[in-house]
Amino acid sequence: MQVSLNWLRDYIDIDCSAEELAEKLTMAGIPVENLIREDAGLEKVITGRVEKMEKHPDSDHMWICQMNVGKFSENLVQIVTGAQNVHEGDIVPVAMVGADLPCGKKISKGKLRGVASNGMLCSPDELNVEGGHDGILILPRDTEIGIQAGKILGKDDVIFEFELTANRGDCFSVEGLIREIGVLTGKNPKYPDLNVVEDDSDSTQDLIKIEIADPDLCSRFSARVLKNVKLGESPEWMKRRLEGAGIRSINNVVDVTNFVMVELGQPMHAYDYDQIAGKILTARKSVKGEQLHTLDDSNRLAKGDELVIADSEKAAGLAGIMGGLETEITESTTTVVLEAANFNSTSIRRTSRSVGLHSEASGRFERGVDISKTIKSLDRAAKLLQDMNACTVTRGIVDCYPVKKSETSIDFTCDKINSRLGTQIDESKIIEILKSLDFVVENLDEDGSYRAIVPMHRINDVKVWEDLSEEIARIVGYDQIPSTLPFGDSTQGHQSEQQDFIDKIRSILTSLGMCEELSFGFTNPETLDKLQVPGDSYLRNAIPIMNPLTDEFPLVRTTLLGGILENASRNFSRKNEDVRLFEVAPVFHPKSLPITELPREIWKLAGILFGRRDRVAWNSSKDELDFFDAKGIVEELLSQLSISNYQVERGDHFALHPGRTAFFKKGREIIATVGEVHPNVLKSFGISKRAFIFEMDIEILRKYIGKNFKYESLPKFPGIVRDIAMLVDENIPALEIEQIISKNGGKFFQEVTLFDLYQGKQISEGKKSLAFTIKFQSPEKTLTDEEVDESFRNILAAVEKKFNAELRG
Amino acid sequence: MEKQIEQIKESALAAIHESKNLVELDSIRVKFLGKKSELASISKNMGKLSAEDRPRLGKINHDARVEIESALDKKKIELQSLELDQKLKTESIDVTLPGRRNIRGHLHPITLTLDRIKKIFLNMGYSIEEGPEIETDYFNFEALNLPKDHPARDMQDSFYITEEILMRTQTSPVQARTMQAHSNNEPIKMIAPGRVYRRDDYDASHSPMFTQVEGLVIDRGIRFSDLKGTLETFLKQTFGSKAKIRLRPSFFPFTEPSTEVDVSCVMCHGNGCSVCKGSGWLEILGAGMVHPHVLEMSGYDPKIVSGFAFGLGVERIAMLTYGIDDLRLFYDNDVRFLKQF
Repeated sequence: MQVSLNWLRDYIDIDCSAEELAEKLTMAGIPVENLIREDAGLEKVITGRVEKMEKHPDSDHMWICQMNVGKFSENLVQIVTGAQNVHEGDIVPVAMVGADLPCGKKISKGKLRGVASNGMLCSPDELNVEGGHDGILILPRDTEIGIQAGKILGKDDVIFEFELTANRGDCFSVEGLIREIGVLTGKNPKYPDLNVVEDDSDSTQDLIKIEIADPDLCSRFSARVLKNVKLGESPEWMKRRLEGAGIRSINNVVDVTNFVMVELGQPMHAYDYDQIAGKILTARKSVKGEQLHTLDDSNRLAKGDELVIADSEKAAGLAGIMGGLETEITESTTTVVLEAANFNSTSIRRTSRSVGLHSEASGRFERGVDISKTIKSLDRAAKLLQDMNACTVTRGIVDCYPVKKSETSIDFTCDKINSRLGTQIDESKIIEILKSLDFVVENLDEDGSYRAIVPMHRINDVKVWEDLSEEIARIVGYDQIPSTLPFGDSTQGHQSEQQDFIDKIRSILTSLGMCEELSFGFTNPETLDKLQVPGDSYLRNAIPIMNPLTDEFPLVRTTLLGGILENASRNFSRKNEDVRLFEVAPVFHPKSLPITELPREIWKLAGILFGRRDRVAWNSSKDELDFFDAKGIVEELLSQLSISNYQVERGDHFALHPGRTAFFKKGREIIATVGEVHPNVLKSFGISKRAFIFEMDIEILRKYIGKNFKYESLPKFPGIVRDIAMLVDENIPALEIEQIISKNGGKFFQEVTLFDLYQGKQISEGKKSLAFTIKFQSPEKTLTDEEVDESFRNILAAVEKKFNAELRG
Repeated sequence: MEKQIEQIKESALAAIHESKNLVELDSIRVKFLGKKSELASISKNMGKLSAEDRPRLGKINHDARVEIESALDKKKIELQSLELDQKLKTESIDVTLPGRRNIRGHLHPITLTLDRIKKIFLNMGYSIEEGPEIETDYFNFEALNLPKDHPARDMQDSFYITEEILMRTQTSPVQARTMQAHSNNEPIKMIAPGRVYRRDDYDASHSPMFTQVEGLVIDRGIRFSDLKGTLETFLKQTFGSKAKIRLRPSFFPFTEPSTEVDVSCVMCHGNGCSVCKGSGWLEILGAGMVHPHVLEMSGYDPKIVSGFAFGLGVERIAMLTYGIDDLRLFYDNDVRFLKQF
C-alpha cells in the first residue's frame, strides 16, 4: 500500500512533518516502511532574482550574476552562468552550494575562469521537471523569492509506503488511514463525498441482473449502471493521486474504479454493458476446463475452484483478481456496469496463488474488505464520473446481499485490560480511545462492565477483549507501558541431560583442536553418490521436500558425512589445507516413505581432519595428520566421557578406506566409527589430501557414559618396569599381543604400553618390531626383581609361543 | 721461616688475584696448599722446631693457610659467577621468534551466542525445551492460531514434506508441545532454541535454515509490562547496560497485543548509522501476550492464566555482536572464519 501525503491532506489537516506523521503511524501499528519525497534533490534549490548581471571579463559567453535569494542569504550570491536566456529581474531556480540535484550534479564553491561562483542557475532538465532544455528555467515574475523551488514546481508531495500487517485490511485505504491519523493527532477527518445525483431516468434493475451462486465465496455483489459514458483522460489531479499510489492512469472510467479502491479500500470493476451477454452477472465457481480470457490477454483453463463473474455465456473475469478481456472498457463503450463485491479472502488467496496473479484488488480481498463498502464505493465512483461530466447515473443500486453480516460485540472491563497490560489507564481514557476508533461502547452496569460493538471495518481483526487491550496499548503508546518482571514462584533454570551431554562433547572436541561447523539439514542424491552410499542402504531413504528451493536441497539429510565433506571440500578449494571440523546435529530417518508420521530425529556427531599435525611454525614438525590422530581424538573423547571397556575392531564402511577403518564397539553395538576417507570419495569431493573422519551416535554414546566416577588411590610402594622387544609378522595386531601380555602378567601386572613400532631397514620383510613397557605393582609392598621375574618369563614364553615372536635383547 | 711463610702467602695471594679461570685457580690451590706445597713441607718440619717457636710459627703457618684458603674460595665464587655469565651469554636466543602453541579448537559463533542467551535465561529460572525440526502443520501453525489459508502464513514460506508435515518454520511449536505436556494451568517458564527452516533464497541476510530462540512464560497474572521488563533485562545483558529498548505494535496471530522489539543500535548507540539505516534502532525480536486461543488449544484456561511469548533470531544477534555483515559466513564454515571465535 502506498499513498501520497496530499491525498491524505484532502481529508484531514496535517500540521506535522511527513517524518513525524510516519513515526506516529509506525508507533501505532501502521508501519511506514519508506518515505519518498518528490522534492528529493531539490532541498537546496531556492528561488532567486537576478539583481545584477555583467559580462565575464575573460569570456565572451559567460555572465556574472548577483542573485537575491531572500532569507537564504543576507548578501547577494555571485553565480557565473553560461546561459544566454537570463536577464536582470528574472526569477530562476538557484542551486545553492551543497545541493545534490536530481540530475546527479553536486554543487560546490568554485571559480569559472578566475571568477568565484557560489551556486548554479538551473535548467528544467537539471531539476527533472517539464519545460524543455533551452537554457535556464525562468519562473513567473510574481514568484516569491527565497523559497524552496520544489514548492512552486509542484514537487511538494511525499509518498508513504506502508508495510501493513495482515490484520489491518482497513488501512489499505485513504479512509482507513485518515481515521487512524485523526485518532493519533486529535484532528477530525472529513470523509469522501458520496452524494451522487441519479440523473438518468432508467432504473438500474431493469438494465442488469446480479446473482450470487455461491454465497460462501461471494457474500455481497452490488452494481450500478452508468450511461452516456464519455471515455477520456482523467483530470490531472486524479492522475497525480493515482501516480502517488503507484497506479498507472488508463482512462477516466478505469481510473475512477482504481481511485475509489485506494480511497475506500473497496476493489471495483467496470464492465462494458453492451458486451455482457444476457445482461446478467453471476458470481459462481468456474466449470473445470472453461476458458478464462483475462485482461492480460492470456487464456487460462479453469481448474474448477476459482470464483468467476460470468454472464449468460462466458466467464467474464476472475473475481477479485482480474477482469475479462471481452467485457473490457474500450473506446466504443457507452454504457458501463460498475461492480463492487465482497469475495471470500481464502478463495481469492488460493486462486491468486494458483494462477500467479497478485493485484491491488486481490491483496485487499485477501486481507478482508469491509462488507458495507460496496454501496459507498458505487456512489463515490458514480459521483466522481458525474463530476467529470463523463456519464449519467441510472436510478438505484442492484444489491445482492444474501446473508446479512451481523455485528460483533465484546464484553470487557477496564480492569481486565489494565491487568493484561500492566498499566493503570483511566476508565474514561479507555472508553474515549475505543470511541475514537469507531467502536460503539455501552455501559452494561455499575460495576464497570462494558460492551463494545466492533465497527464493520475491524470485525476480522477485533474479536475478543484481549484485542481491545491491543487497541488501547497502541493508541496510548507502547512506550507508556511500564517495565516489570513476573512475580511468581522462583524457579530453577535447567536443561535436559542430552543438552548437557552435547555441550560437554562440544567443549571436549574444541579442547582437542576441532572447530565446530554448522551445516544445513538438507542433502541431495549426488552427495549420497559421492559418499558411495550403497543403493540399498537406509541412508538412501532421505525424505523428499515437496517444494525445494533449488536442486541443491531436494532431500532432508540422513547423514552428517555429506555436509562435513562438502565443508571440507569448500575449505580445500579455498586453499585452507589444514582443517579439523566437527558437527553435532540431527539426521532424519523416516519410518516409511512417503512419510505418514514424524521421522526419527537422531543426533549425531561427525568430524573430519586433514592437513598438518602442528601449526605451521619455524620449529614445528611438518608431519601430516594420520589415522591415529583421528583415532586419538575418539579415544580421548570417550575417555573424557568416562566411556571405557570397549573393543576396537577393523571395520567396513562405504566411505572409508577398507584397510584403515575401525569400529569402537560395546558388545555388538558400534559406538564410534573412525577411518581414512576412501580415495574415490576424496576425489569426488575434490580433496587431494588424505582425510580422516569419525562418526558417533549421541543416543548410543549416552548409554555408556560411566557414572559415579571415583578416584583410584596412588600406589604407596614403587613398582617395577620391564621392557620387551620382539619381531613378529606384520599382520599381527598389536592389541592381541597386549592382550596376551596382560593375560600372562601374573598378580602384580599393572599395565602394558606399546612404546615403539618399527618396520623397514634392518627388519626382514613381512615383519615388524614392537617394543612394550610392562609395569608391575603391588599395593602392599615394594616388589623385588625375583617376584617379577617369573611373571616376566611367563609373558616372554606366551608371546613367543602364540605369535612365533623373535624376542630381542 | 716466618719471612718465608709470609713470602709464600704473598705470592699465593698474588697468584690467586691474577688467576683467570677455575682450572688455573685449582692448580694454585694444589701448588700452595697441596701435599707437596711449601706450606705443607713447612708443617711437616714443624717438629724440628724448638718448643717455644713451634706454637707461634704453627699459628703463623695456620693463619697463612686460612688466609690463602679464604682468598681461594672468594676467588672461586667470583670466577664461577664470571663463567656462568659467559655461558649464559653464549646461550642467548632470538626471543622474538614465535612460541610453540598447541592447536586449539573453536566453537561456532552461533553456538557461542546461543550459549550466552541460554545462560541469561537459565539464570532467570527458565527451562530449556526442545522439539522436532520436522514438525506437524498442527503444532507449527494451527495450534498457534494460524489455520490453513491464514494470510499470515505468507510471512513464513515453508518447506513442506506432505500436506500435514513440514520443516518447522519457527521454534514456536515447542510452546504448544510444552503446554500440552503440562496440565492444570501449571506455570511455564521456558525457552526453546533450535534450527528452523524457511523457503528463503540464500543471500547476505536470508538463509533457508537459521537459528531461533522461542520464549514462553505462563502463570497467573502475567502482564504485557512483564514481557517488556524481561526483554529489557535480556537485551541489556546481551548488548550492554546502556542498551535501550523500544516496542512497536505489530501483528502475530499467536499473540495479542503483539510487538516488534527494537534495541538501540549497537554500532552508533542510537545516533543513526548505516547498520540501523539512520534510525538509531535495530529490529531484534517479535513478541506479545499469548493469544487466548493459543492457551485454550493447548489446554490452558485464559480466564485463569495469561502469558507472554517471544521469538528471536540468533544469527541476527551474533551478527550485531561480532559485526558480521553477511549471514552466509555462518554456513560457509571457512576455517579462517571459524578460528576467529
